[in-house]
Amino acid sequence: MFSEDTVLLLYEMSDVLIAGLSNGSVYALMALGMTLVYGVTKAFNFAYGDFFNMGGYFAWMLIIGLGLQFGGYVTIFIVVLPMLFGVGYAMEKFLISPLRKRADWENRIMMLTLGLALFLTNLYMVVFGVKLKSLPAILDGILEVGEFVFSYQDIMIFCLSLGGILLFGWTLNNTRTGMAVRAVAQNPAGAKIVGINIGRIFAATFAISTVMVGFGGILLSQKLFINPSSGGAIMVKAWVVTAFGGMGSIRGGLVAAFIIGIMEAFVGWIFGMSYGIIALFILLLGTLIIRPQGLMGKGE
Amino acid sequence: MHLRQMAAFIGISYGIMALLPILVGDIPFIMNILVMCLIWAVVASCWDVMMGFAGIFTFGQVAFFVIGAYGSAILAISHNITPVIAIILSGFITAGMGVLVGLPCLRLAGPYVALVTFGVHMALQPLLKGEIGLAIGSGGAAGLLTIPPISLFGYEFTSSNIIPTFYLILLISLACVLAIMFMIKSHWGNAFLALKDSEDFAMSLGISAFKYKLMVFAVTSFLTGIIGGVYGHFYGVLSVRMLDLDLFSILMVMILAGGLGHFPGAVLGSFLVVAGSELMSPLGAYRAVTMGALVVFLVLALPDGVMGIFLKWLNKDDSANPAGSFSNGTIT
Repeated sequence: MFSEDTVLLLYEMSDVLIAGLSNGSVYALMALGMTLVYGVTKAFNFAYGDFFNMGGYFAWMLIIGLGLQFGGYVTIFIVVLPMLFGVGYAMEKFLISPLRKRADWENRIMMLTLGLALFLTNLYMVVFGVKLKSLPAILDGILEVGEFVFSYQDIMIFCLSLGGILLFGWTLNNTRTGMAVRAVAQNPAGAKIVGINIGRIFAATFAISTVMVGFGGILLSQKLFINPSSGGAIMVKAWVVTAFGGMGSIRGGLVAAFIIGIMEAFVGWIFGMSYGIIALFILLLGTLIIRPQGLMGKGE
Repeated sequence: MHLRQMAAFIGISYGIMALLPILVGDIPFIMNILVMCLIWAVVASCWDVMMGFAGIFTFGQVAFFVIGAYGSAILAISHNITPVIAIILSGFITAGMGVLVGLPCLRLAGPYVALVTFGVHMALQPLLKGEIGLAIGSGGAAGLLTIPPISLFGYEFTSSNIIPTFYLILLISLACVLAIMFMIKSHWGNAFLALKDSEDFAMSLGISAFKYKLMVFAVTSFLTGIIGGVYGHFYGVLSVRMLDLDLFSILMVMILAGGLGHFPGAVLGSFLVVAGSELMSPLGAYRAVTMGALVVFLVLALPDGVMGIFLKWLNKDDSANPAGSFSNGTIT
């Protein structure tokens, strides 16, 4: 029915699609963290991409130091995620919250986090070297369904990041902390009046977003290597997903993440990887001109 | 800050700069550093005007600088245009790019502007390295290596006869900085102050935010493009490595050290930071780390930079109202 070439092309395309889906799931996780921190604290974090690499490097250090025999990635998650939480919490408390007193604090925070991004990027280069580091796959082997081949790694990445998103959504909707976070996002003054400790919520939100992006970093670095200078590109990516999906819309972010993941995989496949960021940028400009509130965001 | 104080400040800074070759004129290494001071002073001032004065939070100034440098170099190499004309043309090209980036940006809110301009910066490197860049003559990843020096009336301003070149660049740099000063203190400048203090009220008085912000985009990118072209012709080589984050962070430190939104501060900041950065060169790879840490430190601890300290000492009244706001109901 089909010629040999067409079938090969179809298989290749299905591979690209799968890669796009597993990348997209991690993008969704990252974009969610970004929406969260911007929606609640109104602080724009330029060092977001460097926390992604921080997760990757922490995991890499553990694997180099301990090896995988102590429970593998489960141990890594148990050790690294609280560390990231601590880093994020301290960052908010000591660096960002003192700026909130100033009149132009939004711009000051952007400058501060940009400085932080430069600091971390260069620190990674000095400490770990400019060479790319790789993490071992979370699960080896492949799953064959008929003629299609899925690697367990892709499936695990997809499931874990989706699990992370669901857990996050559940926490936000069903726990007291989650409700407090939503209250602060809706009306900081009102939240203060009913006795919510805004400072702590801000710091916790920032820390949770750090954990989410760091978790994404551990997952995606298995496929893409850890690149010390990639922080800026990752931050832009997370932000484009957020803007494309619509600020503050979790469902929009999910849809946008998968669209962008697949788009990026196909652009990379057809034109080469370095064109990914150009495609993203065109998409961002197009979104902002045609539909500034994003796919599913609510208008101003 | 009053116009007279501002002019005096710029005059003293550039005057000291103009006298330095008497002391160190025969040491090419130091003269090169001084030329760098002059060039970064313009870029940092343009960026400061955009961020601190016009309130447009852009991260694209380095990209405009690179566009100007590449534009002028490509015109001179591939199209055999005299460097002086090429520099002016590339200023207009950069201004055009500035308007092109500014048009979508001005409809957006704060972080989106920062993001789009940062995106321009991020997208420029693959563009210049890739096929599109090669097609317009950017030299790809290797960069441009044979950029002709500026020549006027048959005299070539190269780095081998550094002293005349230094004074030429000093004049260009001074002209750019004075242009910025007059812009800030003109009718435009007042319009910006009004827009920054209350955009709604200013618009109700008939000041078009869009028009003025687009004009500042055009003017600052024009000046950045011009100085970028001068940089390319002075150095003779260009590569996309300029778009790495090193230059970005060092410019940021200059603005912050000088004082964000305190105009001549960025000039002083760039003179101080270039000198400081050279002093830090024994740190090697840790220099970039220090620069990043310095940004964080300056934002937290010294929000008004050196200029803030200077203003406090100069005038108690002005320090209560940071430069750029209506002090005592009058605009001076």
